[in-house]
Amino acid sequence: MPTFALIDGNSFYCSAEQAFAPELRSKPLVVLSNNDGCAIARSPEAKAMGVKMGEPWHLFRKLPDGRAVAWRSSNYALYGDMSRRVYDVLTERVPAVEPYSIDEMFLDLTGIADLDRFCRALRREVRQLAKIPTCIGIGPTKTLAKLANRIAKNTPALGGVCDLRCPADRAGHFTVLPVADVWGIGGRAAAKLAAVGIETIADFVSHDPQAVRDMLTVTGGRVHAELRGVSCLPLSLMAPTRQGIAVTRTFGGLVETWRDLREAITNYTARAAEKLRGEGLEAGHLAVFAHTNPHNGDPWYSGQRAAEIEPTADTGALIGEAVRLLRAVWRPGFRYFKAGVMLHDLAPAGQQPGLFATRDKAKSAAAMAALDAINARFGRETLRIASTGAARPWRARQQQLSPRYTTRADEMLIGRAF
Amino acid sequence: MVGYNGGNTTGFVSPAGDSLEGPIDLAAILDLRQPSRYPVRVLGDALAGRGILSGDILIADAAQPPAAGHVAVVMLAGDVLVAQLAFRHGHWWLLSGRPDTAPLPVEGEDAEIWAVVTGLVRTKV
Repeated sequence: MPTFALIDGNSFYCSAEQAFAPELRSKPLVVLSNNDGCAIARSPEAKAMGVKMGEPWHLFRKLPDGRAVAWRSSNYALYGDMSRRVYDVLTERVPAVEPYSIDEMFLDLTGIADLDRFCRALRREVRQLAKIPTCIGIGPTKTLAKLANRIAKNTPALGGVCDLRCPADRAGHFTVLPVADVWGIGGRAAAKLAAVGIETIADFVSHDPQAVRDMLTVTGGRVHAELRGVSCLPLSLMAPTRQGIAVTRTFGGLVETWRDLREAITNYTARAAEKLRGEGLEAGHLAVFAHTNPHNGDPWYSGQRAAEIEPTADTGALIGEAVRLLRAVWRPGFRYFKAGVMLHDLAPAGQQPGLFATRDKAKSAAAMAALDAINARFGRETLRIASTGAARPWRARQQQLSPRYTTRADEMLIGRAF
Repeated sequence: MVGYNGGNTTGFVSPAGDSLEGPIDLAAILDLRQPSRYPVRVLGDALAGRGILSGDILIADAAQPPAAGHVAVVMLAGDVLVAQLAFRHGHWWLLSGRPDTAPLPVEGEDAEIWAVVTGLVRTKV
């Protein structure tokens, strides 16, 4: 029988900040979304003060309690590198690791003796080496490992590890936990189940498998089987090929001029093209949108244009197409609040031979490889397309951005000689 | 010409063509890919006696077990300190490089020996 585990970082973004900033430890701390909008990570102390996930920060910080909570802008360069460290520590110690998200990794622990001891040592090592506190859930399926992880997180007495391999242990939890707590059971599925009187996981597991499939399709049937200890989801060591790449942002300040909007879209397209090449893909469809703020009393305007394009991953070509579409989206006299670029119809580069190709693919690929190599070596945006702008008034607010301690030579952790 | 690397000559064929190597990679020598290794910049000259000057880049390894006499990066009372370790009366102390500064016990909420210094880079001598 296989054994899976899910290990995840406790308040991962907050923990990454606290790793390098002792003055933030054991304090109420939140990390805000892009543009310093709302709370997306909360330290336990911030949770205890009643800060909610998604709390709009411009409102909360004005409350009497708001001042007591430290906040940081999201520093994805730092979080990405800390996630890489957690993954590297795990791969040195565990047969197989699936990075499921920036702060969660599935582990294959099949065949490891004394799992409880092993997992407690693993938590200590990740904490010591990668500086991130974690919880681990163990189970015979990924769904049960994920549920065990949730129980470990919500039950401090377990010391960060919960093992659901034993059916008797599972039964105790199943009678008290709502079925909506299960990975793969969304709000709509939970509502359907509630309609036929299924509230707890125990209710769900004892339900007839065929009836579950009829109600929730094959996907629901798989969750049902996994909860009964039948493994249906293997560890996937490769990220699936993406369906699309989107780069969308809320602006730091409202954008009113064609020039600023074009500059923003040009930047988002450059970033999307970089992601595209990072995965060795080309896009055959491009969409651009921009809209006003629906909540500030401004007149509502939302424009979107999309087009099929000759498959490419060339930054210059994609920017050309994006700006052409943006001209049709642009209406003067509005204050734009958010805009974005979406690439679809993705396929591995070179697989979509254009019968009527107009671009020199080899030349474009060489130029893009040089662009990416220079930016990888000397830092993001060392070399960029001139139309991406210099002043960038549309740029997101990041008023409390911490240093990129581990990826920038001029932003390293500073230690005072004692 | 994209960049000359010792091999791509325009006239005479370079005899080095089959033996080209890139510049020495300091990140590889310092093993910075190790998930436990962190660069730390030193501020202040208190450790000049140990050969550690202000502005030096220390390579701190969190996988290295602390030992008396080692220099370590320590989180203490909200500060990030670089200091020599000592073990006395059952716990860790920081010894100052300055003769007039008393040792500090590594204790209190969140006090942590964060990583042990294993290497040093000085970009200007």
